[in-house]
Amino acid sequence: MTPQNSGAPVTRPEPDAPAGLAAPTSHRARLSEWIDRRAGTFFIMPAVVMILIFSIFPLVASLVMSVSRIRLRAGGYKVSFVGTKNFEKQLFGSEQFHFLGTFREISLLGWVVMVLAALVLVWWLYRYVRSQFWWLGFIGRLITANLAFAIVALAATTLLSGNNFGTLGTTLFYVFVGCSIQFIIGLGLALLCSQQIRGRNFFRVVFFIPLMVTPIGIGYAFRMLADTTKGPFSIVWQWVGLGDFAWSTSAWAARSFIIIGDSWQWIPFIFVILLAACENIPRDFVEAAEVDGASQRQIFLEITWPQILPVAVTVMLIRMIEAFKIVDLPNIMTSGGPGIATESMSLHSLFAWRSLDLGQSAAISYLLLFVTVVVCVSFFNIIVLQRVRQT
Amino acid sequence: MTKSSPDYQANQSLYARLFEPQVIGKMPVGTQILVYSALVIWTLFVLFPIYWVLITSFKDIADVNGGPYFLPWIDFTPSLHAWKELFVVDYEDTLTAYMNSIIIALASTLLCSMIGSMAAYALARIEYKPKFGTIALFVVSMILASIAVGSYGIDWKIAVAVALAIFALMARGLSRRFTRSVGNGDILFWMISQRILPPVVVVVPIYMMFQQLHLLDTHIALILTYTVVNLPIVVWLMYDFFVSIPKDLEESAQLDGATRFTTFWEIVLPMARPGLAATTLLVMILAWNEYLLALFISTSNAQTMPILVAAMNAGERGILWWSMSVVIIVMIIPVVAMAIVLQRFISKGVLLGAVKG
Amino acid sequence: MSNTKTVSTAKGLVIKDLNKSYGSVHVVKDLNLDVLPGEFLVLLGPSGCGKTTALRMVAGLEEVQSGSITLGDTDVTTMPPKYRDVAMVFQSYALYPHKTVAENIGFPLKMRGIGVTEREQAVREAAQQVHLETLLERYPRQLSGGQRQRVALARAIIRRPAVFLMDEPLSNLDAQLRGFMRAELKHMQHALGVTTLYVTHDQIEAMTLAHRVAIINDGALQQLGTPREVYNDPANLFVAGFMGSPPMNFIQGEIENSRFQGAGIDLAVTGVADNGKTTLGFRPEDAEVVDAGQGLFDAIVYAAEMTGEQTLVTIELDETYFVIKMPKDFETDIGSQVGVRFAAEHGYLFNTGSGTRLRNCAVVMV
Ligand SMILES: Nc1ncnc2c1ncn2[C@@H]1O[C@H](COP(=O)(O)OP(=O)(O)O)[C@@H](O)[C@H]1O
Ligand SMILES: [Mg+2]
Repeated sequence: MTPQNSGAPVTRPEPDAPAGLAAPTSHRARLSEWIDRRAGTFFIMPAVVMILIFSIFPLVASLVMSVSRIRLRAGGYKVSFVGTKNFEKQLFGSEQFHFLGTFREISLLGWVVMVLAALVLVWWLYRYVRSQFWWLGFIGRLITANLAFAIVALAATTLLSGNNFGTLGTTLFYVFVGCSIQFIIGLGLALLCSQQIRGRNFFRVVFFIPLMVTPIGIGYAFRMLADTTKGPFSIVWQWVGLGDFAWSTSAWAARSFIIIGDSWQWIPFIFVILLAACENIPRDFVEAAEVDGASQRQIFLEITWPQILPVAVTVMLIRMIEAFKIVDLPNIMTSGGPGIATESMSLHSLFAWRSLDLGQSAAISYLLLFVTVVVCVSFFNIIVLQRVRQT
Repeated sequence: MTKSSPDYQANQSLYARLFEPQVIGKMPVGTQILVYSALVIWTLFVLFPIYWVLITSFKDIADVNGGPYFLPWIDFTPSLHAWKELFVVDYEDTLTAYMNSIIIALASTLLCSMIGSMAAYALARIEYKPKFGTIALFVVSMILASIAVGSYGIDWKIAVAVALAIFALMARGLSRRFTRSVGNGDILFWMISQRILPPVVVVVPIYMMFQQLHLLDTHIALILTYTVVNLPIVVWLMYDFFVSIPKDLEESAQLDGATRFTTFWEIVLPMARPGLAATTLLVMILAWNEYLLALFISTSNAQTMPILVAAMNAGERGILWWSMSVVIIVMIIPVVAMAIVLQRFISKGVLLGAVKG
Repeated sequence: MSNTKTVSTAKGLVIKDLNKSYGSVHVVKDLNLDVLPGEFLVLLGPSGCGKTTALRMVAGLEEVQSGSITLGDTDVTTMPPKYRDVAMVFQSYALYPHKTVAENIGFPLKMRGIGVTEREQAVREAAQQVHLETLLERYPRQLSGGQRQRVALARAIIRRPAVFLMDEPLSNLDAQLRGFMRAELKHMQHALGVTTLYVTHDQIEAMTLAHRVAIINDGALQQLGTPREVYNDPANLFVAGFMGSPPMNFIQGEIENSRFQGAGIDLAVTGVADNGKTTLGFRPEDAEVVDAGQGLFDAIVYAAEMTGEQTLVTIELDETYFVIKMPKDFETDIGSQVGVRFAAEHGYLFNTGSGTRLRNCAVVMV
């Protein structure tokens, strides 16, 4: 059983027969071949170069600026090295009230909370050391614990002691309180819309709209809405006796006001993704549970929640990263006021830049970057990796 | 067993429970009322600010300043004065800003999607092993260049060129000696993590950079900046998409004579269309609405719409609410149109994969 | 030969000492194959034995760690896939879902920069060969499994490559369609005369399609020969056990003093006096069930199954079970004592440890 064609002469009577590609001969073909061989480089280089130039270089330059004093001179800048002075000024010096807050006297409650927090964190570290130990993991946890303590201490010494807090506290307020509210409402709406209700598509389209509106527009729109004399709710204001109430005088009102604006814009984001996650749960799971006689609450706790948890965690991580950068809304709605009550760190840095204090501006933005990274990495490590380790 | 026997009835309810699960969504009336009122309240909360902006854009100055009026034709007479002012009287500024916004948003979205998809695809398919040593070498040469510029006042172009040349030479010579390398995952993380950077960290150096290049207040400056700012999003979302496309198709194309780039362009991108549409829409919205960076980089020529919104807060005349409302409304329209156009391509849960973690 | 002009482009394929490891797993071990021009050679082996990996190395999709691949006169070991002049049909067909059938088939020509009109002409011809001419405007998702398979084939044919590579192309089809497509494939390969390297784990496919079969196990070539050769003259225990359905029956035993002795069996053998552990094999279709005492050994009927064309009799000898094919009207009672007989040349003896065939050794008939 030999193949019929063995030994057939290898000639090609039809020269234009489209057989294999010949080795490239023309210049163009050779060029395209050369490029193809280096495809890996060509594919990734644009992104890498762009990031290096517009992200890494500015990052380094900003670091340099944060340890410098920069003065505008005719036709250029004068840069002089000042070490950590810029940071010291924010953390301990004349700007401390602005960045961290004022620490006049610390109330008993403040002390109690601080001591409790310290104990909890030490216990947490101790438990880690006892159960497993890896020096990098320990250092990471140490940083997390220190930052957590710093945050609690900041809250205890300002908020709980009746002192004003600075832009750091305000930013953390926006991040933690704002994100929690947005998550709860976003999740609630997603759960409602994942039910088989009438007009589902209408609601999901409408709920998505705020994400498409420019933040600065939202800022001004909410300013109009909140106007106590000419805004649409002025009647309500007058009725409750706040007709001459001014947003610009109440710190907490102003902060809540900004969180409302921020939530209006960002709940849609959380809603859309959590809704997709809910709808992605296989129908049989829920139906099987219903057949087994599970209540709605049980279905949520046993099926829906575990299924959407990974998505929820990631969404919150993204949302937190973006929330740390909040700047447009406080800038437009309150200009950071009253005083510095609604000023976020981004806005603080922006104001410093406006007053041409570039070194301070860079130092603040670096502090912001530091806090963002530590909080987000801690969140990621503690929540996401915890789950990975468990499963 | 008759129909009235207790046995039958007990079985009946058991059967009902086992084989006729409640139709989902057949909730008790009370729950239904609660659910719908929650949804309707939220709908009002979402729509009311937009409605208010919309009617404000048709109000006379007196109607805006004279206390709340809610319904056109009923408690105030709509007027087109703000629209006229922006699109007839002062149309040049408005149209310039509008065109700027369109050009910048479109160009940066296009560039960003392209560059980001390419990088994401490469990271999903091609194995990279940049050596630690090479990276360190690059960092060192860049530091040397900055010292040369900062301390000795050498022209930055020369310094960078020399540093790059030295790096290239050294890397070529030494790369074989380095052993430890980073992988695709590290590169991916590096790219995505750029999104953490708050714009205020980088905007001042970027401002200075464009100043040096005489590119301040140009389209190109904003396009490039937006591209980089949104690049992490594209890389992150598209990476997930490309990973989920079967490799067979690309290998088949490769065997059939396609180059990497042709494969990407002809096979991979069309298949990633749902993801690409969603990503593009997201990036487009972000670029279109961006304010802070535009505030720094553009002053007049490259002024975008968000800047125009802020410009309606005009010093001594107070805030021109009516004109501002017009600008906000005309900013929303194209995004909604875009969303409707792209919606066709976006399938449900398109962005879910990337978020699943 | 209906189509001589394409036959002449067929090239031989020589694979020498090919090796591939993934980490510590040696997936392809010293593979040597010499595929003649125009030959249909089937790589046959159980799942996970490294067939696909070997095929992908020939295609250039997988890096060769050592060894060489020569196509015609050119060494293609390190050549990028697109210059190798090979076409591949993937198990998944790898059709481009966003392209129509015509665009799918024409894709290789498009990549070669061939003009639209010429391409259309070629697409139509290729589609005709696989009977797809009416479906050219459809998308892959609108096609049945068999039709998709044909599109993949047409896309391979249109290039008139030197070698076809096929990776289990029929495994995603249902049984009936598979039989039909098998015939089509055979016919097409015959008509085109293109050298074909075909991977499958299905021995029927291998037997029916191949000019020669290469049987692979654990990455190593076990035997290379025509289907008849590997069936009738298996080189070792693995090949003997892998080919045939139902597979060959094996009896474990030892050869001592020119006698093969196992549980309940004691036969005289020629050629070898002492061999230690030995396996005696015989095929179900070569043996017959006879009355007790009439055969080489006696055993008990465990089951008898009528399949229509024949009766499969399972018999038990000391907890080992054999299957014997008997004519369809054969009848027996479960539990009855019977004898088993086969001709001397149909008994195969293997070294149990190494699996190698004891070629000059045979059972002696009583
Ligand atoms: N990319 C890979 N990485 C690691 N192991 C692989 C890879 N591809 C295949 N293998 C392993 O190599 C062996 C042979 O695989 P394959 O060639 O696909 O087998 P076959 O096609 O014969 O079923 C399998 O054990 C498989 O797990
Ligand atoms: Mg396989």
